[in-house]
Amino acid sequence: MRRVLLWSAVILTALLLQSTIFAQIRLAGAKPDLIYLVTIALAYLEGPSSGAIAGFAGGMAEDFLLNQPKGITALTLTLLGYAVGLLRSYVASPSPFLPVLIVGGGTSVGVLFFGLVTFLLGEPVGSAAYLVRVALLTGVYNAILTPLIFPIIRRVVDASRTRRVYRW
Amino acid sequence: MALSRRTRSTRVLVFVLVMVSLLTITVDYRGGQSGPLELAGKAGLTIVGPMQAAVSKVVRPVGSFFSAVIHLSSLESQNKALKQRLAEANAELATTTTAVQQNEQLRKLLQLQQRLGISGPTATVIAQSLSNFEWTITIDRGSSAGVKTDMAVVSGDGLVGHVSKVSDHWSIVTLLIDPSSSVAGRLVTTGDTGLVVGERTQDMQMQLVSPGAKVDLNESVVTAGFTGSLYPPGITIGAVSHVYRSNGSLAETVAVRPAVDFSSLQFVTVVTSP
Repeated sequence: MRRVLLWSAVILTALLLQSTIFAQIRLAGAKPDLIYLVTIALAYLEGPSSGAIAGFAGGMAEDFLLNQPKGITALTLTLLGYAVGLLRSYVASPSPFLPVLIVGGGTSVGVLFFGLVTFLLGEPVGSAAYLVRVALLTGVYNAILTPLIFPIIRRVVDASRTRRVYRW
Repeated sequence: MALSRRTRSTRVLVFVLVMVSLLTITVDYRGGQSGPLELAGKAGLTIVGPMQAAVSKVVRPVGSFFSAVIHLSSLESQNKALKQRLAEANAELATTTTAVQQNEQLRKLLQLQQRLGISGPTATVIAQSLSNFEWTITIDRGSSAGVKTDMAVVSGDGLVGHVSKVSDHWSIVTLLIDPSSSVAGRLVTTGDTGLVVGERTQDMQMQLVSPGAKVDLNESVVTAGFTGSLYPPGITIGAVSHVYRSNGSLAETVAVRPAVDFSSLQFVTVVTSP
């Protein structure tokens, strides 16, 4: 229960910050995407099933604030959360740069996938070059933000894990 | 054994979530503007709108700071011109606050309304689009103020876009530069008309109906306002920034730079009556 509340709070905060402060920071045609960052961070820390759930919830929340066919972000982030969670169980490196790399790469792949699905549904996404550029830039911006935001999410996850154990 | 069962349950979970997402895409695609999901979207806007308004109030200066840092290079080139202006503005400096800027924007808006004889509720911009593939803003007026889908939205500088989603007190406006936006435009001097289509961060493209039209740089483009059009006539869209010369083409294309600076919009008017 505590976990659900804390995670919802994280996702809602990300959504609000994304639509107000980060929406203004558009550099070279792209902006960071906090929802992707939060999904990847939660998946990285908590594994594939938690990652998929977090991605689905965040994606649905974002979809319902957009005009596009709803569900594309949810689909993208569900798969992304699952993939990152799986990847985490195969990579065992204590390097502090690992989250930065995974967030950057994951975001780029996620945005590309999102663009591809949107394109397949016949919605305007622009040229392939534009899509690749936005995907790469968003990945880089998210990677830059990771050292700031990842520790906060790790702290929230740790707080949501603590449970009292009763023995009798 | 325990591990494999866990892996399997994770796979089932992901499968179910993916299916729900696909179902949502399908239902939404079929439902269009009146589907059940559109209603859910409106409900979502009703809940999140007030929160966005509150957060926006707090973080606008922070965001403005960062966006200023980002645009540093272009600011540098303006530096010289601004230094000259600074001397003139020194006297006014004491009163140059956000309130004055807002006043200015609102006054321009009012002038535009009087000039074109349009009226409607004035709204504050509280949020911008989340996605990199959509150019929208959220405003703090909705159906309770008479706002309906497809109404035109203007600012003091010119046309902003049209309303694409409405809830009780909040609406989402699709900007002119969104690729899904197209407006019938008219060149002021020659009167030639064409369709102005959004091109994201680049200048908008105006496809001229008649080839061989004489087009000058920096010529103003206004809404044509055909009967049944979303937009009332005579609202400034932008200025011609480039003319593409192509021989033998059936329609000529010119680039149009929007008159409105979409990144610093604060107040807009929804045109409820032309």
